[in-house]
Amino acid sequence: MTCTDDADPPAVRLPLPAAAELQDDLLVASCDLERLQRLLADASGDLIGHFHAATDELQALLRVASDREDPAELHRVLAQVTGAITAMQFQDMASQLISHTSHRLRVCADRLAREAMGDDDDEQALPDAPPLRPNPVSQHEMDAGSIELF
Amino acid sequence: MHSILAVDDSASMRQMVSFTLKNAGFHVVEAVDGQDAWEKASSRDFSLVLTDQNMPRMDGISLTRRLREDPKFKSTPILILTTESGDQMKQAGRAAGATGWLVKPFDPAKLVEVIGKVIR
Repeated sequence: MTCTDDADPPAVRLPLPAAAELQDDLLVASCDLERLQRLLADASGDLIGHFHAATDELQALLRVASDREDPAELHRVLAQVTGAITAMQFQDMASQLISHTSHRLRVCADRLAREAMGDDDDEQALPDAPPLRPNPVSQHEMDAGSIELF
Repeated sequence: MHSILAVDDSASMRQMVSFTLKNAGFHVVEAVDGQDAWEKASSRDFSLVLTDQNMPRMDGISLTRRLREDPKFKSTPILILTTESGDQMKQAGRAAGATGWLVKPFDPAKLVEVIGKVIR
């Protein structure tokens, strides 16, 4: 059987306890994402710190070695280490993706509260959330992005 | 030595960009968002501005528009380095006066190459 009816489906109101539970779940998921964002930022900071320390050491070795021997091997090692720069930009992209998703979950939770519980006369109604813009991160992998000169 | 203003609200991105540009022989000044960049740009000259798009206080396209209104930055190359890859956003960058649009993540060699092409 196929559904061909284009009319709006009848409104279904969730029982209040179920709506409250769903709202809690959405907010917990949003908080977990924010925790993930802090973990990634912390790990990325450490990673970049070690990256800088490693490249500083290699460059110091190169300065000493170039006086007395062919430093080709050290140049190769340095090239391998600096080759990680593209992948090391993951934190910025992950952070934007997480922020966007977390915001979306919070908007869903607010909407659920409004729809299920209605506006409380004693409290100020929640303001309408601004429309969500598309997710700014559309990449699926960490390959270098495109370059366009105008 | 060419001086480049690198603008990004992400500390890790600023570090990656600075590392790449300093290794290529450029002097780099960092700014944490468009407003910070605007304040830094008003007190000195830069050979090129490399800016993120999505930032608090002032985004990259607004920064580009403001810089282009200043005669000092009329012909300074401005590159936007962003996760945004949509045509509509690119066209907005172009209309604001950006010189080019680079989608993250960047490849260090390609970034240096494109800067070499546009810098004066």
